[in-house]
Amino acid sequence: MSAGDGGGPVLRVAGLRHRFGERLAVDGVEFTVSGGEIVGLVGRNGAGKTTTMRVVMGILQPQEGEITWRGHPVEFADRLRFGYMPEERGLYPQMKILPQLVYFARLCGLDRAAAERRAVELLGRLDLAARAQDQTVALSHGNQQRVQLAVAMVHEPDLLVLDEPFAGLDPSVVDDLSSMLRAETERGRAILFSSHQLDLVERLCDRVVVLEHGRVLAAGSLDELRARLPRRLRVQVDAPAGWERGLAGVHARSGDDEGIVFDLDSGADAQAVLAAAQAAGPVEQFGYERGHLVDVYRELVRR
Amino acid sequence: MSGTPTVWLVARREIDERLRSRYIRIMTALSVALVVAVIVAPSLFHKPAKPATVALLGPSTQALAPALQHAASAAGVKVRVSDLASESVARAQIRDKSLDVALGVSDGQELAVVRQDLDPTLRAVLQAVVSEGHLRASLAAHGVSPAAVAQALTPAPLVVVTLQPSPPDQTAHALAAIVAGILLYMSILLYGQAVAQGVAQEKTSRTAEVLLAVVRPSRLLTGKVLGIGLVGFVQIGLTVAAGLIANAVVNRTEIPSTVWVLLPSVLLWFLLGFTLYAFACAAAGALVARQEEIGFVTMPISMFLVGTFLLTYVAVGTPDALWLTVLSFVPPMAPVLMPVRIALTHVPVWQVVLSAALTLAGAAVVAVTAARIYSLALVRGGAKLSWGQALRLSRS
Repeated sequence: MSAGDGGGPVLRVAGLRHRFGERLAVDGVEFTVSGGEIVGLVGRNGAGKTTTMRVVMGILQPQEGEITWRGHPVEFADRLRFGYMPEERGLYPQMKILPQLVYFARLCGLDRAAAERRAVELLGRLDLAARAQDQTVALSHGNQQRVQLAVAMVHEPDLLVLDEPFAGLDPSVVDDLSSMLRAETERGRAILFSSHQLDLVERLCDRVVVLEHGRVLAAGSLDELRARLPRRLRVQVDAPAGWERGLAGVHARSGDDEGIVFDLDSGADAQAVLAAAQAAGPVEQFGYERGHLVDVYRELVRR
Repeated sequence: MSGTPTVWLVARREIDERLRSRYIRIMTALSVALVVAVIVAPSLFHKPAKPATVALLGPSTQALAPALQHAASAAGVKVRVSDLASESVARAQIRDKSLDVALGVSDGQELAVVRQDLDPTLRAVLQAVVSEGHLRASLAAHGVSPAAVAQALTPAPLVVVTLQPSPPDQTAHALAAIVAGILLYMSILLYGQAVAQGVAQEKTSRTAEVLLAVVRPSRLLTGKVLGIGLVGFVQIGLTVAAGLIANAVVNRTEIPSTVWVLLPSVLLWFLLGFTLYAFACAAAGALVARQEEIGFVTMPISMFLVGTFLLTYVAVGTPDALWLTVLSFVPPMAPVLMPVRIALTHVPVWQVVLSAALTLAGAAVVAVTAARIYSLALVRGGAKLSWGQALRLSRS
């Protein structure tokens, strides 16, 4: 079974609907994940991220919609090639780490020798080799997260589904684990990843799916999403406040020591802003600001 | 998919986890000790009477030795004749308890010397022997040949006719029934609870979520029940084997021969009973939100099992009662009550087979419902589910 699918979508979620009693948790969610890419699911708590992932993993049966893997409806056997890290971590607390990894690897169909080899190798990569014979409960929170990630990865799955994998971790651990995930995609694996740490998603993901109230608000690459933002200008002028008043199609967003940030309406003229600034005093800084995912998100949610 | 079947992988993990548990090892030791004690204890307390040692002093008394053996065996008293010549040695030995009685003649008077008192039966035997001696001497003096005397004195066997036979002793049967009942209800409860705890642990630690992504719920459940059941089976097997060995070693007639049938049937009924209760316990374990709630959700199951066991105490008084026969066919009760009946009375083979088949069918029904509750409740967040909610969920 090849891991390298490069390019085309491997996982396709279409028209997914899921209801808990009266509450519609997921309402027509659609997206794809391709081999070699990391797709981030973002959204606030209750937006439908976890439910979507649980349906993908078969923990919840889909009530409506379809999930396909490499073009066919996903079957149980396909899921043995998926790796899953649930939001609420799940490990046997009293079980030693190495046997635990071997156990999960064997449940995914590996024989004992292969399972042991991969578990040992993975613990080495995760800096946990020395803790192989410790019980899970004896580990720190950060190390338990690493073990949880190891459980998801031990059978070298083609798709990783990671629900808030970095919640509560310190930045250095986040960096380590991020580079590990990157390495996985370089081998052609697909990763579906959820987080509400938008800066992290921005750094790690190739594409983003924004969920709100169970619906997809927007989906696309970071650049595509940023393109949805109004153009944004930063202007720093050595002049008394108020020089910008009266400019058409220009809205000041924020101001600080580094000048004023303006949102430009689609028809607005940046050169007119520059001219007004120069008229007011010497211009120290003038340029377009790169929008962040968090701005895109705020923009989307505000509508 | 290559590799070991999932059910066996799950079962193996359960076995490894149980074998690490000290609790299981202690329980095994205790149940082995209980069964061996019940079989061995009666023979420790019920020692066969030691033969009384009797010294016959003087030639005329020594001639009574064959008569003494005869009379003693007729009276059911064990007597060992010691050949001692001297009265003073005999007295010394009586004082230090190595001799019980010294029988002799002094000044034409028969004397029985003892340390403290003479057992009344032995006294009657000795009296009869002395009288017989007098009779022989008297007959010989009147010219009757010793052979004729011997023939006359050989007792004719006495035939005993019982008009109202006393019932056979039920104590041993009752004890066997109660021990079988305890063994079964304890082990079904213990291993059933182990299943409930294992399921609850996987649910509350959210391990279930990771497991269910790669294992079908029915296989996870089957593997768990199989693994824990095998550990239980080996424990009961050890207990039964210890019981059979103890029984063979002691080989007492007081122990009913039903033990040979009873112990293996305890093993069979553990398997049947455990299967039925384990699936129910697994469903119970899946209902909890917190590990501490296990006792509460398994309460109806344990209460039922304990109640069934308590019926054993009523059953020993009325081993052939109709209610007992009927209840020994009711699936959740049969695993305790059928072996109890086997211990108490003669149960036709067809009844055992039918009851086992019904229990197996009952277990299948429980397993199907339990598996549905289990797979629905295991990945459900939120508060503890009640049995009512769970049953409604399983039907929806």
